[in-house]
Amino acid sequence: MFIDIDKNQPSAKWIEHLRQRYPTEHEIDRVLTRRLHRRAGPGYSPLPLEKLVEGVRALIRARHGEHFEILQPRWLSGGASKLQMAFVLDWHRPGVGHEQTRMVLRMEPAESIVETSRLREFQLILAVQNTVPVPPVFWCDDQGEFLPYPALIYGFAEGVTKPSSAAGNVSGLGTRLPEELRTQLAPQFIEHLARVHSFDYTKADLSAFDVPKPGTQAAEWMVNWWERVWEEDCEEDAPMMRLAAAWLRRKMPTLDKPCIVHADYRVGNFLFTEDDSRISAWLDWELGRIGDPHQDIAWTTSPAFGSYDERGRFLVCGLIPEAEFNEAYERASGRRIDPHAVHWYKVMNAYSMVALTLGTGYRIARNGKTHQDVLVTWLMGISYMLMDDLRDLIEKGA
Amino acid sequence: MQLRADIQIKSILKAMADVVLPAVDPSNQLAQEQARLCMGLLDLMARQLPLQYRFDVDELGRLLGLANELHTAVTKNPIDESTAQALAKTIAQGQGVYARAQADPAEVLEALRALRGTTSAVVTQVCTDEKRADLSAVEQLVMASSHEQLQRDRSWLLAQRWEPNPEALPAIETLLAPLPGAAS
Repeated sequence: MFIDIDKNQPSAKWIEHLRQRYPTEHEIDRVLTRRLHRRAGPGYSPLPLEKLVEGVRALIRARHGEHFEILQPRWLSGGASKLQMAFVLDWHRPGVGHEQTRMVLRMEPAESIVETSRLREFQLILAVQNTVPVPPVFWCDDQGEFLPYPALIYGFAEGVTKPSSAAGNVSGLGTRLPEELRTQLAPQFIEHLARVHSFDYTKADLSAFDVPKPGTQAAEWMVNWWERVWEEDCEEDAPMMRLAAAWLRRKMPTLDKPCIVHADYRVGNFLFTEDDSRISAWLDWELGRIGDPHQDIAWTTSPAFGSYDERGRFLVCGLIPEAEFNEAYERASGRRIDPHAVHWYKVMNAYSMVALTLGTGYRIARNGKTHQDVLVTWLMGISYMLMDDLRDLIEKGA
Repeated sequence: MQLRADIQIKSILKAMADVVLPAVDPSNQLAQEQARLCMGLLDLMARQLPLQYRFDVDELGRLLGLANELHTAVTKNPIDESTAQALAKTIAQGQGVYARAQADPAEVLEALRALRGTTSAVVTQVCTDEKRADLSAVEQLVMASSHEQLQRDRSWLLAQRWEPNPEALPAIETLLAPLPGAAS
């Protein structure tokens, strides 16, 4: 079936067709549908800082009350997907008293390279705040009621994503860490992952999440999510991507006990304090879900996030060889790693990476939808290495 | 290859207009002027690129017309022999090239995108049906073909420095086949 679709001006009929063809979690369906409905609308135009300050003021007034002052607002760089503004809030903090709190506004552009839900991000961070170090989250404007686009307000977290001396690519990818730092960070990296996977999500408010039924539903939701993204965004189709999607559907792993999955657990997404090499905050929970822990295990081992040590050994996330990582994780979590499930999620993760870098990256830059289309365009270049990784993984697993 | 010049130029121009130019010191006239010239040339490039090949082939055709008419015009009153020979030789060469310049690059791109669409649809249909006897054969075809193309895609983008082991990839010049009908 070949239909000439204008993906830049999607019809209501096509959007509905995609929703029916690729069922997934309700909140993911909502944000994907919302962006398609808005796609033919205007691109992203630079926003004056004052407009964001006004939006933040309105949000805090609605959620907290009248007595506060926003001080020292300024733009923050970093990350390929969201706009960020730092500021200081002079306020009466509940349970603390008068305080000047450093905060960060994290807001979506018109379309993001990773289209996700601010409500899910907000709920997930609140849920795990006593389990692993995360930045405090204060308020969420999940519908863009107060700000131009949906947004979150975080507390400022101390630390750096890479040592000032380290070489690396944009977004913290390809970072090479010195050996001494690796040996201090790696155990924390693994321990925190084990804690996330052991967290009892049933007692948390996670209304924006669906819990997969035992069996293959967790895997099926993933394939549906990312094949829908590829279908919605790609300009040039790729037989390899179609082969991969079919392969994924044929070999979906089963899951008995779902857990919280961070889904972007890697170097570049945690902060550490340079004076004591302590991981101070885990960032970027936007892709998090209730799913299969193998998704995280597989994600960290992507070649895109790794680097080579001084002896030429490939290190997972630039920290630790894969076999050592797996062994330490099993010890810390008490879970057994199923190599078949890890392999499936490696394929799944590679597929999703290609879908977002090559498919979404193209579409949003083509339509001028972000505050940094030039970075999104630059990132498209990694997708071919990832697609070859995807091909290689399927070949090995076939 | 989806990371093409058109999308690169478009995103560079947006970055220049939205972020870089507003940050350039207004009192630095040289920097202001050169930033605008960079944008002007990029905009010109974006407009010219889709038509560049047609522009050149069109010019070649008209130059061949002029050269042939000149060649005829001077037969009754000959010019010096070396100049006449050089003219005849370039006419012959030019006509050969002109005869082979049959497809616009935009048509090539359109054709390859159409083939990507149709082959992808076939792959989906075959590979989602486990009962098909040809599933494995189709998978092998796609895997082999993708390997060849992805080698070229990755080599084409080596300058971005994504590759952890760039030496393992052959240079793009060694991977690209000569154009069909190219002079040997």
